[in-house]
Amino acid sequence: MADIQLKGLSKRWGSFVGVKAMDLHIADGEFLVLLGPSGCGKTTTMRMIAGLEDASEGDILIGGTKVNGLEPKDRDIAMVFQSYGLYPTMSVYENIRFPLKVRKIPQAEHHERVMRAATTVELTEFLDRKPAALSGGQRQRVALARAIVRKPKVFLMDEPLSNLDAKLRVSTRAQIKNLHHELKTTTIYVTHDQIEAMTLADRVVVMSKGVVQQVGTPLEIYDRPANTFVAGFIGNPAMNLLRGEIRGGVFEGRNVRIPGFAGAADGPVHLGFRAEDAAVAQAGEVAAPIYSLELLGDASMATVQAGESLVAIKAPKDFQGRIGEPLAARIPASVCHLFDASSGERLPRSAS
Amino acid sequence: MTTRVADRRPLTLRVVMSSFLVLWLIVAAFPFLWTLWGSFKVEGDFFSKADWLNALTGPLTVSETGSSFTGSGYYGAWVQEEFWRAAMNSLIVVVCVVCISLTFGTLGGYALSRSPYRYAFWLLLVSLVFRAMPPITLVSGYLLPFFEWNLWGHLPTAIIVLVAINQPFTLWMLTSFFRNIPKDLDESAMMDGCSRFQAFRHVIIPVMWPGVITTGLFSFLLAYNDFAVTAMLLSKENQTMIPKIASFLGTTQTKGNVMFAVSSVISVTAPLFLLVMFFQRQIVSGLTAGAVKG
Repeated sequence: MADIQLKGLSKRWGSFVGVKAMDLHIADGEFLVLLGPSGCGKTTTMRMIAGLEDASEGDILIGGTKVNGLEPKDRDIAMVFQSYGLYPTMSVYENIRFPLKVRKIPQAEHHERVMRAATTVELTEFLDRKPAALSGGQRQRVALARAIVRKPKVFLMDEPLSNLDAKLRVSTRAQIKNLHHELKTTTIYVTHDQIEAMTLADRVVVMSKGVVQQVGTPLEIYDRPANTFVAGFIGNPAMNLLRGEIRGGVFEGRNVRIPGFAGAADGPVHLGFRAEDAAVAQAGEVAAPIYSLELLGDASMATVQAGESLVAIKAPKDFQGRIGEPLAARIPASVCHLFDASSGERLPRSAS
Repeated sequence: MTTRVADRRPLTLRVVMSSFLVLWLIVAAFPFLWTLWGSFKVEGDFFSKADWLNALTGPLTVSETGSSFTGSGYYGAWVQEEFWRAAMNSLIVVVCVVCISLTFGTLGGYALSRSPYRYAFWLLLVSLVFRAMPPITLVSGYLLPFFEWNLWGHLPTAIIVLVAINQPFTLWMLTSFFRNIPKDLDESAMMDGCSRFQAFRHVIIPVMWPGVITTGLFSFLLAYNDFAVTAMLLSKENQTMIPKIASFLGTTQTKGNVMFAVSSVISVTAPLFLLVMFFQRQIVSGLTAGAVKG
């Protein structure tokens, strides 16, 4: 087990920047999720830690040792690939055993360790099968077993659940979470699925275009997004972002007027709030005709046009409304976040 | 049981299809079967001017040898004319060419398929140009230096030239096979503790067998069937089978010589049938490829 430090880590291909000067410390035993849309550099970062990609600049330290020049095999890392990377000619048993074999671990230990790994991921019935004869979820578990069979310092997981169907994803997610709790190995997990990030992570790193946007616990990221990108990426639905202007402590935009921002500088801003923090009322800060209405099961999601964008407002499921009818919602200033209109950075709130 | 697709086709279509297949089979197999049958007759029958049916019934064979089939063509070729020596030479040349081309081909093909650089593409393109050249153009260039350096006539010389002619093709074929194998496979092997070469040997090659066998078979055929290079570069005692057959045909003055050629042709063709039948499954899966999804 070991901690990982990234110091000014960058990756460039010609003039294209994949990852830009990334600094990060991952504590021993931590479950860290790299989250971002595709092409944001999260997989590249992981591949640099794995040693499958050379860093253009910066250092990677695992357990205090610089590993930049080391081959993947010398970094003592195990990785689970999105496509599993199982060896098609070997049986499940041989697949799991392979890392022990190539790392010259004494033969006598093999069987016991393979069986223990297979039991952990509930694969004992399939040991004689070839990967081709397994379902997607089972293949995924073989890949997991192969990673845990030799207690590496670090686990890397590259979107391991994205090829599974929705139901299986939930159960495998729980399995990964439990596995980490049991083994307490430092884990880096790459995903574009924010629900995976929220449920699995000790800390989440949100990335966009090769730049780290925010690092924090899932709750921090959800409650205090560092900028409009994070606000618009995290949550389902994502945070509502309204364009408008602050004048004398009052936010004003099309169909919206929210007082209570005493101390905020006058000028154009983006205002964000979450759909569930707004409450439908007789009269409120937002008043506009309903644009669309979706029943979610436990609630209804009403959308109205305000501040030059569509704003989602969570309403009770028995909410009776029709498209085109007027809707008003209470959005107190205390649930709102302000972001700089040009940079998108979060603005500190002196008041409230 | 559901009915098979073939059973649901209209009868006339099935009849037409079957008869076409039978016709095609006859046309395709006839030359070989004709030669096979004729190789057990004497020259007077197989090349009868009186009646072409003599090649089938063989009246002269009966009168000359006392039975309707004779192995004299085979005996003359293999023992008298020492065709076995040519067969040995062919074996040496073919085994060496296949082994050397496959060694370089798999290593080079793997490297080129995994190379992130542009020059890999240009290397392949240049090799295609060399592949497109007729082999004889290479031979004419080699001939003089080989004479001067006293290399002419020896088997290793022919092997080197054949490998050189063959290599671009094996490189191309193997590169495309390797490209079909997902990169994730090498990368997981490397994460599991393999060096690049171990990943190649333990993980990639086992998956590649159909491709290696198919490519090996094609280089085998090239070396086995080659005439231009072996005929020009080998001395008489080092001749391989194909130029040897040509030399039988070139000296038709002696009676029976043509029959030596005919029986040698059969001797050369028979192993090919066995080979293709033996590796049939690998060749098919090699040619259809894509069977390596993990």
